[in-house]
This record gives sequence, structure tokens and C-alpha cells, in this order.
Amino acid sequence: MQLRYVSSELGQGLRRNVSMHLAVVLTLFVSLTLVGVGVLFNQQASKAADHWGNQLQITVYLCRVNDSSAVCPNAVTDAQKTEIAAVVEDNPEVADYHFESSEQALGKARELYGDELFTGENPAITAEDMPQTLWITLQDPDEYEGITSAVQGLDGVSKVRDMREQVAPILESINMLQWVALGTAAFLVFAALLLVANTIRLAAFARRKEIGIMRLVGASTLYIALPFLLEALVTALIGVVLAGGALWGFMYFGIDELSANRLKFVPWIGWDEFWLAAGSVAILGPLLTLLPTLVLTRKYLKV
Amino acid sequence: MIRFEKVTKAYPGHPHPALDNISVDVEKGEFVFLVGSSGSGKSTFLRLVLREYRPTSGRVYVAGKEINRLASWKVPRLRRDIGTVFQDFRLLPNKTVTENVAFALQVIGKSRKEIKDLVPETLELVGLSGKGDRMPDELSGGEQQRVAVARAFVNRPMILIADEPTGNLDPTTSVGIMKLLDRINRTGTTVVMATHDSGIVDQMRKRVIELENGHVVRDQAQGVYGHQT
Repeated sequence: MQLRYVSSELGQGLRRNVSMHLAVVLTLFVSLTLVGVGVLFNQQASKAADHWGNQLQITVYLCRVNDSSAVCPNAVTDAQKTEIAAVVEDNPEVADYHFESSEQALGKARELYGDELFTGENPAITAEDMPQTLWITLQDPDEYEGITSAVQGLDGVSKVRDMREQVAPILESINMLQWVALGTAAFLVFAALLLVANTIRLAAFARRKEIGIMRLVGASTLYIALPFLLEALVTALIGVVLAGGALWGFMYFGIDELSANRLKFVPWIGWDEFWLAAGSVAILGPLLTLLPTLVLTRKYLKV
Repeated sequence: MIRFEKVTKAYPGHPHPALDNISVDVEKGEFVFLVGSSGSGKSTFLRLVLREYRPTSGRVYVAGKEINRLASWKVPRLRRDIGTVFQDFRLLPNKTVTENVAFALQVIGKSRKEIKDLVPETLELVGLSGKGDRMPDELSGGEQQRVAVARAFVNRPMILIADEPTGNLDPTTSVGIMKLLDRINRTGTTVVMATHDSGIVDQMRKRVIELENGHVVRDQAQGVYGHQT
């Protein structure tokens, strides 16, 4: 097969139909970017769900000195802690539990927020400000209501918090963003498919004379279709590269710079997830252009 | 070289078949005129040879291959054994004479050396030496048809199909094209030519197959255009 002929036909084809190719590239760029963003949100949602959901824990905050809660006239006593532990121990839904001291809680807070608030002559937060807590791991995270009502109201208990209730709104938001991105992408992917089909129809019409002669002199179907397939591949590759760049920008400026530095309590996606999204886009892009090209060239260029 | 065995070709939506149970045998190296009025089945005959269509019933053999059973992917190889010339030349207007002829070899993957050897040789055969750099619109109708013949013959096919090749040409130019086709026929190439040009058929005195409403009504060696009484 003569590469020179195929490459010159490819160049001619791209120039002849430049506005249509541009439309395909731009539509592919936007739709693939949205697909990539959808994949990233999906990864973000599962990462967050894994991180928070797998802890399967309920946190019981015990009364501290000068507790703002109305049910806490005094700090929790050792006797109250023993009674709370006995109630938890007897509950069949509990898999495991442990106490966390005020000092341990302070240590955790320092890890999250840095040393600034906790050091110096007059620190903003001291161990006294941190409540003692009881961390309960459940057999089944959905069965949290029994233990919550059993512990709530015991003397020395300030409040009970299910971890998953706290993170549910964040997870829901990420999920919603994921579906918005994928839904919009689906419309644009459909538009891209129609554009590709139209481009091929136009290209086949513009080259009908050459194609007719090629068929008559015995050029193979692959040889006739090759310039069309290469045109489709070139537009797909440009679309993929642009979408990859946009996703890289989203990761670098959106996730790395802003979110990961400011909202540290959220487990953010990293570059592994970026490569997964970029890989999905790199596979989807060529498929979106090559599949309709293969189907339509079979129709228009039938020997 | 070409054999039709009880071939019928019907098109969907048409009450009468375009070809109706015809049997024809064309030997290697023969020159055959296919005559008949419009709609008699000449074009369908040629299209069956080219395997643009399959017959509705019967069998068609071309260059030793039964085209009914020929897989689609093998059709291009069959067509490399058949050259085709049309009334409207069908040249590529943006390519020179040489490029038009070379195109037929390029697209079937011939090497640059083969193309360099075969194209000038063929242009000389058709009488267009020295005009290789001209564009088609710089040539007369007769010269354009010579380019089309060169493109059809450059791959040295076993069969040359010509569908009204003189239909757009004046009588003098037509004679030149017929001489060219005769010369090609003398190299051993089988020529099947559909025509309405009675003068040429009468002059050449080759085998004439006449079609009428899809039937072969005459098959005559050294025949003439109209019925001889």
C-alpha cells in the first residue's frame, strides 16, 4: 500500500473539510472533557465513600468541663464512663469500641490543622477544650439507630454523631456533579456521533469520483476507506489531547492547588485517578469517531 | 472468459427482469459488440460481469471465477482483471494525464518503478506520448477517451469492458478509438463493447450480440448492427 498516496489523501481530506473537522474536534473536546470530569467525580465519590464509609463508626462525645450542651452539667466521671461502656458492651450491634482521651483528640486536631493553633504562650485550643470520645465500630453501619438511642441520654454523654450522616451531603454533591457531567457528556457524545456521520457523508460525496474509479480498477475496500479512517483518527487524537489537557488543568488547578491545600479533611483524588480518566478518554475518543466511520464507509464505499 | 448460464436479473419493484434466462459464452481474445435499444439489458450485462450485481438466478463466470459465489472481499481482485471505459470518460479533473493513468496502479498498490515503466508505455500505445503533463480539460474529447482507455488498460487486464465509448465523440474520432480498442484486442485482451453506433459495428464486422427486453435475440459472428435479411 502506498503510504505517500494515503497521506496525501489524508491531508487533502482534512483541508477540504476543515470546518466540519473543526466542529468534530471541538465537540469531541468538550464531550470527552466532561466524560473525564465525570470519571474523576466518580473516583472522588468512591474514594470519599471508602474513606468515611468504611470506618463504620459512631462517635459518642462525652461531657467536658464547661460543656455547652444542656445535658452536661459537669464533666463525665469515671463511673459514668464505666456505665456507658457496659451499655455499649451489651449491645449486639457493636463490633468494637474504644475510648479516646482529650489529649489523643488534641493530637489528631494538630495533625489536621497544623501546630499554629495549639502552641505558644496562650494557645487557642488546649486538651481541656477537646472532649473525650467513645468510638464505636458497628457490625452493620446501617444499623446505627439502636446503639444511638441506647447511648443517647445516658449520664455523661454530650452528643452522638454518626460519621456517615456528616459526610452524606458531601457524597451526594459529588454524586450529583458526576451525573451532571456524564449526562451532559452523553448529549455531546451523541452530537459528536452525528457530526462524524455528517463529515463522512460530505467527504464521501466530495470524493465520489475518485471512489468510483478506485472501485472500478480494483482498489480494496480497506484502501478506499483508509483515508476516511485516518481522518477520523486524527480528529479523535486532537480531541483526546485537548480533553487530556483540560483534565490535567482541572486536576492541577482545581484539585491539587485549591482543594487539596485548603480542604484537607477530604481524601482527594490524585494523579492515579487522573490517568484513569485520561485513559478512558483516550479509548473513548477514537471509538467515537472510528466506529461510525467503519459503519458508514461500509455503506457509502461498498464495492 | 465470460460465461452466462441461464442468467436472470430482476430488480426489485420492476415487473419484468432486465435479463431473462440468457446464456452467452465469450471466448478469450474475442471482440464482442453488445447492441440493443435503451433498456434492453446491455448495462445490466456489463454490471454483472463487473460483479456490481449478482444474478437473481443462473450462473455468471468471469475470468474463471463464478461471481455468484465470489466473496465481497475478493471482488477488487476480480476487477483488476477487467478494464472499464465509459461514455463520459470519468477522468479526475485535478490530475494530469499521467496521474490519471497512474492512479489506477497506485490504488492497487503497484510499486513506483512499475508505475514509472507502465504509464509512459501505455500512453504511447494510445497515442498520447508527450501529453502526459496536460490536464484533462486541455484535451479534446477523443484524447480524453484515450486517457480513459489507457487507464483501463494500464494494468493489462484480461477483459476490457467499454460502455458506449464513442457515444460522446464525432465519427472521425470514434474511428480512432475503435482502432485503439482493436489494437488492444489484438494483444489477446477480450473486449466487450456496448454501443448504439451502427456505423462502427458495421465497419468492424466483429461478433454481435443483440439484446431485446432482456433476451438475446441475435448472436452473430462478423455481424452488423441491424438485422441482416
